[in-house]
Amino acid sequence: MPVQQSGCYSEQSSSSVQRVKGVNAEMLWLAFKTLFHEKGRLVVTLVGITFSTVLVFTQAGMYIGMMGDATALIRNVDADIWVASKNIQNIDFSYPISEERINRVNAMPGILWSERLIMTWGFLKLPDGGLEQVQVVGYNPDTTVGAPWNLLAGHAHDVKGGPYMILDKTAENRLGALTVGSIWELSGKRMKLVGISNGIKSFTTSPMVFMSYNQAQLLPYGPVRTNQTSYIIAKLEDSGTKDRVVAALRSSMKDNDIYTREDFIRKTILYWTVQTGMGMGFFLTALLGLIVGGAIVGQTIYAGTMEHLREFGTLKAIGATNGDIYMVIFSQAGMSAVIGYVIGTALIFLAKGGIEKAGVSIYIGTEMIFILFFVVLLTCFAASFFSVRRIRTLDPVTVFKA
Amino acid sequence: MQNKNNIILSSQDTDNIVLETKDITKVYGKTENRVVAVDSVTISLQAHEVLLIIGPSGSGKTTLLSMMGCILRPSSGDVLINGKAVSGLSERELPFVRRRYIGFVFQSFNLFPSLRAVENIELILRLKQTEKEKVPGEAFKLLDMVGLRKRADNYPEDLSGGEKQRVALARALAGDPQILLADEPTANLDSKTGLEVLRLLRDLAEHSGKAVAVVSHDPKAETLAHRVVTLEDGKVLQ
Repeated sequence: MPVQQSGCYSEQSSSSVQRVKGVNAEMLWLAFKTLFHEKGRLVVTLVGITFSTVLVFTQAGMYIGMMGDATALIRNVDADIWVASKNIQNIDFSYPISEERINRVNAMPGILWSERLIMTWGFLKLPDGGLEQVQVVGYNPDTTVGAPWNLLAGHAHDVKGGPYMILDKTAENRLGALTVGSIWELSGKRMKLVGISNGIKSFTTSPMVFMSYNQAQLLPYGPVRTNQTSYIIAKLEDSGTKDRVVAALRSSMKDNDIYTREDFIRKTILYWTVQTGMGMGFFLTALLGLIVGGAIVGQTIYAGTMEHLREFGTLKAIGATNGDIYMVIFSQAGMSAVIGYVIGTALIFLAKGGIEKAGVSIYIGTEMIFILFFVVLLTCFAASFFSVRRIRTLDPVTVFKA
Repeated sequence: MQNKNNIILSSQDTDNIVLETKDITKVYGKTENRVVAVDSVTISLQAHEVLLIIGPSGSGKTTLLSMMGCILRPSSGDVLINGKAVSGLSERELPFVRRRYIGFVFQSFNLFPSLRAVENIELILRLKQTEKEKVPGEAFKLLDMVGLRKRADNYPEDLSGGEKQRVALARALAGDPQILLADEPTANLDSKTGLEVLRLLRDLAEHSGKAVAVVSHDPKAETLAHRVVTLEDGKVLQ
């Protein structure tokens, strides 16, 4: 069928000249061969990507881990609504409110149950005479709402009826060995250790101490006094009524802040992330990791492109399209990204235990592995941009130059 | 609608002429910086012949060869392959013409250093759509043709200059193109090896029917060419 000016050229479906779909596979093969032939360059590229991956993983993992710690209590208490003092910034820094306010919450239609919860501070005397500031949670041992959720020893009810407390195993680095039955001095008050939880940490890094609500009120030097609480938490009969109940509570309790569980988590995260500038610190370090890694990848791929310009020009002269050659460059970037990312991720998994032993929370979840993979992959592709631009402007005539 | 992937330039069989340039001119720059690299050149290249293009440096030999190879677009005039004009084809279409009809041999060999000799040929065979199962056999056959089967597994860095050029020649023959264009193919070779490469080119023309155009400064090339065209200041000397 004539398709341009008559007699100029024509097309037909001859198998010998069809552009077979396998050409891209050939470019992939060429990319693979070239990448692994130049081992020195490959090592430099992989070091860059691995470094980038490790840095981004640690920063993102630590940030998520610390935000997890900061919101651990809110997430693990089965309550839909949190009532706090006015203008509270985050769960750790509460101002006492009258515990009688629980009656207003209870009186609100749609509330299934409500509880009081104390969040306060104390000083724990160490065996060597030193003092360690601790974060104290006082909960109702009958309902165990607000109790520690991952107990290695003892039971949440065990704090009932006396000066009993539960400490977290992750605090052993700072407090020394924890033994159930041992006696400690908390803010001048003798307390017996009746249980040990595991993995419960606060953002402030102060060890967490759980005790009964009544004992927390009696704690000397703390801000919470008798008839006072830090929070009133409530469960709804129907979670679908959340907005309506919260609006009604806000209307009737103007001296308090009323949050849904999700809002309180968000407020706490925003406080530590934005208001303290800490989130920006993590973000910038992760970004720096991506930039440095991307720069190394971009530089090595660009250097490789420049070095192989003659061969790429030859391919163009022989009949490869720009797209075929982009395929080589992007494949090399992609292969480097995958290998570097796998090495980086493996290193992070190896180091995770050590990081956590040092008391730093680091979260590495499946979704994070996938998301960061795409971030690293995109960074590597973006780093290939200058190489692609160079190929686009590469004149195949240059291959005739000696 | 035209399928760019299936461009066929059917022969009109005009005295075995495979490639023609008709009054082609290449001008670089504009106004006062204007340089006419090739000026109204009309030549033809037939099957079974070696056409030698000679001339002093800067006479436009390589520019002419680039236009004959559909790498460079003429400013005016036409390049015809099998009697069909290709100058009107788009930038997207020309690669497929080069892939199908033309094999290139370069002064600097331009082999892929990361590929073994046989793989350098296989890559181009695959690029030129050779059926996958036939690729290894074809590649070895081409290496046989240039006498380098035993060096098939060597990387270019392990080959001598002459061997590299022979691999490059085998690569240029991949896909069985009608036309072979060689730019100074003996420039980086010693005299004896250069002569071998030139003989190979002549054999390919005479026995395989290839249309071969060679740009060269090598005096030996004149003895092996069927025709010689001399360029000076972009023009063919009569």
